[in-house]
Amino acid sequence: MADNKPPASGPPSGDTAYTQWYEVKAGDTLWKIAKAHYGDGSLYPEIFKANQDVLSDPDKIKVGQRLRIP
Amino acid sequence: MSHNHSKPRGTLYVLLVLGLALSACSNQMEPAKKAIADIEAAVSAAGADAQRYIPDQVKAVTDQLAGLKAKFEQKDYDAVVAGAPAVLAKAQGLLAAKDAAVKQAAAKQAEAAANQAAAAAQALATDWETLSATVPDAIAAVDSRVNILTKSKKLPANVTKDALTTAQANLADAKSSWQTATAAQSAGKISDAVIAAQQAKENTDAALASLGMPGG
Repeated sequence: MADNKPPASGPPSGDTAYTQWYEVKAGDTLWKIAKAHYGDGSLYPEIFKANQDVLSDPDKIKVGQRLRIP
Repeated sequence: MSHNHSKPRGTLYVLLVLGLALSACSNQMEPAKKAIADIEAAVSAAGADAQRYIPDQVKAVTDQLAGLKAKFEQKDYDAVVAGAPAVLAKAQGLLAAKDAAVKQAAAKQAEAAANQAAAAAQALATDWETLSATVPDAIAAVDSRVNILTKSKKLPANVTKDALTTAQANLADAKSSWQTATAAQSAGKISDAVIAAQQAKENTDAALASLGMPGG
């Protein structure tokens, strides 16, 4: 479901050894990712907020992107 | 005639010489006996533990004392009297030598204890450094996830309701233990701080496992 490898570019400030990471796959949406990790897709804003350094729009995620799962 | 008179005179002379020699010997017997007793008393005064602290010096004196006693047994009292002062001086020096050795041993022991205490303090400081660099992050990660999951209408497949309840309890314990740890650290009680921090780490590890989250 999730991997815990930080992005190759190095962790942004605030990331720790306990930060959980997820690599976006084809067909993923933040809703699906939130549903998988929290059981509730409506909680996707939590993931969006935690990744605002790489996401400007919750509807625009890219395959291969590594997202924090707070 | 004169020849007949010289024989008893010669015998008398021999007897006189022998008598003088015996007298001289027996005259030295008492001083020799006293000299040996004085050496034994000096060795004794050094104490039973002298053997433990200055074994070589004690052996040197007791060996020389044994030599004097052997000479005494051979009735060579002159040799005993002649050799005794040097041995007595060494025997009388044993007590001071032992005291110095005892002091040196005590100083070494104190130094070893101080080194051990410093090593233990360093180990605690290292433990604290490691724990203080990780436990707050672990608590924050669990706290964040618990907060989000409590808002969830349905839990994810890998987290049961009981697991979430367990994680919440572990999180509360971890926060409490961490508070205890930081208070102890601020008060300079590093040992108590490390114990409490380790407890906080155990609690967060348990919470992370309950929530299916990776450890640090």
